[in-house]
Amino acid sequence: MSQQIVTLDVREDLRLGREPFSKIMGAVAQLKPDQALLLIAPFEPAPLYGVLGRQGFTHESKAVGNGDWEILFRRDSGDAARLDRGTAKGAAAAPTAPAPGPRDIRVVDARGLEPPQPMVVILEALQELPAEGELRAHTDRKPMHLYSQLLERGFTGQTDEQADGSFITHIRRR
Amino acid sequence: MHSQDDMQPEARLARSPKAGVAVLRGGMAIEGHAPVVGLPLRFLITGMLALGLGVGLLVLRPDLLATYHYNQYVIAVTHLFTLGGITTIIMGAMYQLVPVALETPLYSQRLARWQFVLHTVGFTGMVGMFWVWNLPQVGHFASILGLGVGLFVYNLARTLRQSPRRNAVTGGIASGLGWLVLTVLAGLYLAAAKCWTFSPFAPLAQMHAHAHLGVIGFFIMMILGVSFKLVPMFALSEVRSWRRAAWAIGLVNAGLAGLFVTILVGSLWKLAFAGLLIGGLAVYGGEINAILRARKRRQLDWGLRYFVTALAGLLPVAGLGVVLAWPRLPLTALTTQLENVYGFLALIGVVTFAILGMLYKIVPFLVWYHRYSREIGRQKVPALADLYSARLQALGYWLYLAGLLATGVATAFGHAPGVRWGCALLAASLAVFALNMGKIFSHLVRPKPSPLMVPMATPGIAGASHLTLTP
Repeated sequence: MSQQIVTLDVREDLRLGREPFSKIMGAVAQLKPDQALLLIAPFEPAPLYGVLGRQGFTHESKAVGNGDWEILFRRDSGDAARLDRGTAKGAAAAPTAPAPGPRDIRVVDARGLEPPQPMVVILEALQELPAEGELRAHTDRKPMHLYSQLLERGFTGQTDEQADGSFITHIRRR
Repeated sequence: MHSQDDMQPEARLARSPKAGVAVLRGGMAIEGHAPVVGLPLRFLITGMLALGLGVGLLVLRPDLLATYHYNQYVIAVTHLFTLGGITTIIMGAMYQLVPVALETPLYSQRLARWQFVLHTVGFTGMVGMFWVWNLPQVGHFASILGLGVGLFVYNLARTLRQSPRRNAVTGGIASGLGWLVLTVLAGLYLAAAKCWTFSPFAPLAQMHAHAHLGVIGFFIMMILGVSFKLVPMFALSEVRSWRRAAWAIGLVNAGLAGLFVTILVGSLWKLAFAGLLIGGLAVYGGEINAILRARKRRQLDWGLRYFVTALAGLLPVAGLGVVLAWPRLPLTALTTQLENVYGFLALIGVVTFAILGMLYKIVPFLVWYHRYSREIGRQKVPALADLYSARLQALGYWLYLAGLLATGVATAFGHAPGVRWGCALLAASLAVFALNMGKIFSHLVRPKPSPLMVPMATPGIAGASHLTLTP
């Protein structure tokens, strides 16, 4: 079955110093079920693989010269809005989780993003977090500016440093 | 001791068992910590105004750079730049950056508010009294400023103690604070030595030693320390070698300690310590280069370009420093003017330029956080880059470089009209900067969020709900 490919070139955005993450996610949000996204970027956007992977996308990447990369994101199932549910992939390295264990664990990988994009990613994810759910936010830095926003929105957060120097913050409703 | 009221409101919440605030494993509390917009902004705006006033004065009085620097007006304008402009901005920036750089909230905002009053009264009085050359009054205002510096250092020292890490970032900040205290003490000693002739040191040597303490010890050291956190953060990279970063801080500290003493006593060994210091800066440059080479974002934005260009300015400044420290350097019109160029390039070419770049990172975030963080997920919020104009940033960058070059050359040859034109270019650059800051600040008055255009189709993922994409 042929698949329609939507191409998104973010090289100019990056050249101008613009953060293309929102643009990419917008393109993903507007993809129809039979469409795939071809992303052209000046580097391999590894953090994006995890983010889109959790939405049900697979990727094929190749370097195309001059340091540029083309990455084709295809849906791996019909469930476009899938997040990791009931499992804690990527957060398995967290030494412990708050007790009692939540039924619905969601993971957001906000590594590799320029501030304040990690905070945006996490707070938007919280909008959809079920009452008994937990969001595990993986960040490069301790999200110091996030905590007051969590408080204000009725959440608690608990941050663990990982062996690689990154951080996982476990966020649940108070 | 401070009462609990002295602590930030978020910290009080953290102590409440009902608050359920984030807790780091190992028993350390992470207080929910929002950057309070008013505190850093009052420092930053005051500092920016002082810089603008300083450049304006140089346009009006180009002779200040075109003639030898040991006179009351040059000293007044220099303190306007250093205390009123650069120090004020660094203090405001530190109050903003502390949570990120040190991973802990500021110890006390109340102390910081008092410090602002003392600092502003202190530096304005000092600049005014230098201008009219009333040294006893300079000493009085310097004491007020010194009290404020004491509060600043105490506040940050207590914050540093709370920090969970000991690395080149905390080491650089701690070193900078130490040098700041010594700079203020040396300045008070200088003022006293002018009022009562008791000092065994040559007046010019005292002044140069004091200046090196402040510029290298406080300004450059703070920039070095904080940059190990900020450059990787904004360039999407990471520190490549914390050991190399620590060596850089250590060598600059050792070099400066020796340089201060040898300048003061007029020893020829100052060249050796200058070499040590430059070695430390070279190690620092090596680490920054490694960080930038490993970055995931190939194109540097304009804020980082300002900053990196300023760091590159350390090369000519260091070279000029070595020339001026050379034994038996002949005292000619050119060599004395080169001392002016050295000070001008260090303060305006390196420190101020780097600070302008960092302000393009700090101020938009501060305003964006204050105005839009509560709206995330509820409304479409602008991106940081939407708050200012990249074109204005580029225009300001090139005007600044042209101004530096013109002023530097004209100063070297004592050419007052050239200095005026060069400083006019710098003033134009600062005006462009002010225009861009105005665009950013306008969001405080007229926020520009808009209703979400697309329902949240992809829960938990940023941007999916509020994007317009041009195919």
